[in-house]
Amino acid sequence: MSEIAGRLFSWVNDRLPIVNTFERHLSKHPVPSKVNFWYLFGALAAVTLIIQIVTGIWLIMPYSNTEEQAFSSIEYIMRDVDYGWVIRYMHTTGASLFFAVVYLHMFRGLLYGSYQKPKELVWIFGCTIYVAMMAEGFLGYVLPYGQMSYWGAQVIISLFGAIPYVGESLELWVRGDYYISGITVSRFFALHVVALPLVLIALVFLHLVALHEVGAGNPEGVDIEKYLDDDGIPLDSVPFFPYKVLNALVAIGVFGIVFSVIMFFFPEGGGYFIEMANFEKANPLVTPDHIAPVWYYAPFYTMLRAVPDPLGGLIVMAAAVAIFFIVPWLDNSKVASIRYKGIYSKVAITLFGVSFLTLGYLGTVGVTEIRKTMSVVCTIIYFAYFLLMPIYTKFETTKVVPERL
Amino acid sequence: MIFLHKEIMNFQKIIFFIFFILFTYDLNGAAGGACKDYGDCDKFDYSLNDIESLQRGASTYINYCYGCHSLQYSRWGRVATDLQIPEDIFFENLVFDKSIKPGDLMTGAMPEDSANWFGVAPPDLTLVSRYKGDDWIYSYLRAYYEDSSKQYGVNNLVYPGTAMPNVLLALQGNQKLVCKDIPMIAANGGQKRDEYGNDVLKEKCGFLEVEEGTGKLTKEEFDDLIYDLTNFLVYVGEPIKATRERLGWYVIFYFLIFTALSSLLYREFHKDYNK
Repeated sequence: MSEIAGRLFSWVNDRLPIVNTFERHLSKHPVPSKVNFWYLFGALAAVTLIIQIVTGIWLIMPYSNTEEQAFSSIEYIMRDVDYGWVIRYMHTTGASLFFAVVYLHMFRGLLYGSYQKPKELVWIFGCTIYVAMMAEGFLGYVLPYGQMSYWGAQVIISLFGAIPYVGESLELWVRGDYYISGITVSRFFALHVVALPLVLIALVFLHLVALHEVGAGNPEGVDIEKYLDDDGIPLDSVPFFPYKVLNALVAIGVFGIVFSVIMFFFPEGGGYFIEMANFEKANPLVTPDHIAPVWYYAPFYTMLRAVPDPLGGLIVMAAAVAIFFIVPWLDNSKVASIRYKGIYSKVAITLFGVSFLTLGYLGTVGVTEIRKTMSVVCTIIYFAYFLLMPIYTKFETTKVVPERL
Repeated sequence: MIFLHKEIMNFQKIIFFIFFILFTYDLNGAAGGACKDYGDCDKFDYSLNDIESLQRGASTYINYCYGCHSLQYSRWGRVATDLQIPEDIFFENLVFDKSIKPGDLMTGAMPEDSANWFGVAPPDLTLVSRYKGDDWIYSYLRAYYEDSSKQYGVNNLVYPGTAMPNVLLALQGNQKLVCKDIPMIAANGGQKRDEYGNDVLKEKCGFLEVEEGTGKLTKEEFDDLIYDLTNFLVYVGEPIKATRERLGWYVIFYFLIFTALSSLLYREFHKDYNK
């Protein structure tokens, strides 16, 4: 029996590079032997993506994408579908944690120079994934068709209207109607469950292929490819299986604990993961007192509000995301890791981190005078971090990077 | 914060300090309770495992609220099962329309033109505990007071100008806004007294007080009634809430074991390359 299976396997393997691909990209793939916890968020992002896809498929089955039934079908899932609430809360918690994990993953990139030559394309694919995720998250938030779905969509779609000349027709084209309606919900549904997931999966594939071509980084910024053993494998590396897999498994365990604490005890995340107003069916006649985006868009929403002019706000917000794409060409440093960079870089990244968090906080609360000033200051710090990078990375004294890990 | 190095610790401390000051300033500036004129809402702690409380709450809801407020996402039979009420007793005592079957949704008993009666149609309350919050409901239902300028002779501190009459007036009694003489606090923290040793009092207004003997229930009994009613609304807003919180412990326990085992395994293999 096993002989037949073995022969069948080698028959397939002769025609399809199963063993080769598996060894090259998984089992034998060399990874740096010394990394820290910052390097685990990529694996967690992959896990979350899988959770989102699987729970998403099961949510589509009972969900109804019509104006009349979208909201009540969510309650049907929460009440009448067996364990429907598990699937739905996994999806909502997963969405928030996907962003949390990706933000930490991106910050790791900035800390340890994961965008530097030759990893520019890995970084760019990553940034594109982030943009696709933002779109995916927004489209998904509209589907339950609650008050915040409706008014959040109203705010975001009206941003298109700020674009000169084509704005209004663009707005109409995106919405598919003169106001947000069932037509908008059903097209957002199509984009959310088919179009963008395809894009995301393709981008993740490219992100990984490019990464495996140039090799993963490490917190020291040491080029492990310099010292190879007789088989051409870096001396400071370990095979992906079992070492990296086990490391990721521990991370998945901890992540699972965090995930379940939120999902089973705080699924609304204090109104930050599922906003309270979204438990009320969309009502075009009643504007909620306080329209706030979900937490993961909050920093960009604050920047939008920090500029009085709608078009200016839109440009600032778009630039805040777009600027990530050119980071590989802004960093003039000879070293990759923050550990060996100079004092300016360290102060700059701290200021950047704090201002990003502050912008996030400001996006979830109402506007006051002091908050307005704070959001302008933080927006300036945010952009200064990127725009001044070519200067401060060039004129600071860096430390000498060791030869080996 | 693994990237912190000694030489920049001071800079980072200064940066964090500045933001800390700004946040504290900001939080102080943003006061104002969620319960409007009532101030901060009274804290409500649900107890979804207290089945008797939920049963009493369901009974109050169906007798006093269901006439106007539907629970359109909830099913009759589900409520009976979850609240451990035998179906025959439940349908005998709490379901007045005999054509209703256990699988039917609780779509309400209100005619279409009800909006004309109150100015607005009474909202469905299945999810009220989720978009208003249990604290809000618990405070709102106890904050009615006599106000002859209003259509139904009552107003509400939590929701000024509410369109709903005080349906529970017969139980609660006639609640009024009164002024009281409040003892003043002296600079030393004790009670303030004048030179003759008498307490110094100051009149403050806006207190809720029930006219004695006007209601069927005492204040404590009425608060308990509203507690049970709010508890029921928390249940109906998310029927699986108690199950969710119970299951959660098992899942977390599973992941704790998972993490412990995988980290032991990881350590064992880690020795291979990190001696």
